[in-house]
Amino acid sequence: MNMVLHELKSLRKSGMIWSGAMIALAALFLSLYPSMAGDTADFVSLLEGYPAAVRAMLGIHLDYISSLSGYYSMVFVYIVLCGAIQAMHLGASVLSKESRERTADFLLVKPVTRSNIVTAKLLAACTVIIATDMMFFAVTAILAGAVAANGYSMHLFILLNLPLLFIQLVFLAIGLAVSVFFSRLKNVLPITLGTVFGLYIIGALLGANAEEGAGRYLSPFQYFDSIYIIEHSGYELKYLLVSALLIAAAVAVSYRVYIKKDIHAV
Amino acid sequence: MSVIELNHLTKHYGKSRGITDVNLAVEEGEIFGFIGPNGAGKSTTIRTLLGLIYPTSGSATVFGKSCTEHPKIRKELGYLPSEVFYYDNMRVIDLLKYSASFYKKDCTKRIRELAEVMDLDLKKRIDDLSFGNKKKVGIVQGLLHEPKLIILDEPTSGLDPLMQQKFFELIAEENRKGATVFFSSHILSEVQKMCSRVAFIKEGEIIKLEKMSTLQENSYKRISMEAAAAIRKADFNLTGVSNFEANGNAAKFIFKGNINTMMKALAAVELRNLSVEEPDLEEIFMHYYVKED
Repeated sequence: MNMVLHELKSLRKSGMIWSGAMIALAALFLSLYPSMAGDTADFVSLLEGYPAAVRAMLGIHLDYISSLSGYYSMVFVYIVLCGAIQAMHLGASVLSKESRERTADFLLVKPVTRSNIVTAKLLAACTVIIATDMMFFAVTAILAGAVAANGYSMHLFILLNLPLLFIQLVFLAIGLAVSVFFSRLKNVLPITLGTVFGLYIIGALLGANAEEGAGRYLSPFQYFDSIYIIEHSGYELKYLLVSALLIAAAVAVSYRVYIKKDIHAV
Repeated sequence: MSVIELNHLTKHYGKSRGITDVNLAVEEGEIFGFIGPNGAGKSTTIRTLLGLIYPTSGSATVFGKSCTEHPKIRKELGYLPSEVFYYDNMRVIDLLKYSASFYKKDCTKRIRELAEVMDLDLKKRIDDLSFGNKKKVGIVQGLLHEPKLIILDEPTSGLDPLMQQKFFELIAEENRKGATVFFSSHILSEVQKMCSRVAFIKEGEIIKLEKMSTLQENSYKRISMEAAAAIRKADFNLTGVSNFEANGNAAKFIFKGNINTMMKALAAVELRNLSVEEPDLEEIFMHYYVKED
């Protein structure tokens, strides 16, 4: 438990900054909603000018855009992107920073097992993610309630927001698994941005073309389709399962590799 | 049961050499010196012992248990690395408390005592500390839980002579209280002062393991002389002569062997001056480490 608390203390600041940034982003978008809702017809005709493929890539669905849920799901894509970067960065750095900052010689000669260390760090990282999301959700729910005209459903709003957590957990696990393969990961940011944007673009390109193709499995960003959520008030089970499997596999790999890893001198 | 046991310990990094077939046993209560130049494999040996790296073959145990299989055994163990790095944004006292929290006993009093002895300001932030002061944090951190085995990897680098003195006193005191000390260094004089036995490591292999007393008293003599005529190396071509340096009429070398043989050889030379001294470890060390031609 001492390790978890120590991690939380060191992660506290960046977690606050991330949730602040995501809240600001959501607030900005949501504040535009009332003016857009008042002028839906013009707005839709403007967006109609975009090619259908581009609209699909950007997550714009003309049929739904006038409702708050539809509008929010369009802007939510960028929030998820933000959250994915935070999560992957956290995952990739939480273990590797001990080697990078050369504190591994301190921590790894303490009377704890390597798996204790991974567990503590994972627990701390998950706590940060969940805390970030809860703060984000609390504020945006209030904002959404304030700007929504009618037909606003809290239940649906929660359903639309939860994928943020799922996708973040996936990226947290991916980040962790990637980081354990490096003997000393000098810089976490390039690998984080590369992976997140890479998967995002793959998802946008493939997701735009093939509705139900195997391509959708390639990018976690495509696992939770907001139109499906709006229409069905629920998630697609197979993608939920794929997310869980991905997380389980990445975490298992992380434990396995980290436990057997040589910690080299600085 | 020995406190430290290394059995045929081998570690290779890919194709490059780490350590090969290292065998050692360190007994309870002794101060064991581990000597070798940089890159000889001292740190590799220690890191394998600590469970930071996995051996390619062989085994390394502490109190009869391997650190990789029984990490809990490390609670009896204090380690001071050659370079210390800690979480920069913490204060010294917070770091030490964090360190103490792993050992499940109250170390507050001990932290105060050690900080007092080492003259360490507990309220400072780690990143404001100089290298020497960080080292002091390392020393306190390594000793605060009163470990039964203290592993030191080139511990004195960065400490001023006064602090080195205090540090040695601290280690000697721990040893008196029953702690076993494993002391790795390339500075021989400090090992000479403290250790009861010493192992020499060179290019990943233990080349010699001796009692300090044997090493110093028994066999090695440093002989310097001045003769009336030029000294030829052939005159002293005896087994046991090494590091022979002739400079005109003067010569010096290290001799290991029966002193009577040497006396006969010396008697054949018309001498102006002669001194026979105990060599310090440095010279014995050089004797082991001079690159073979």
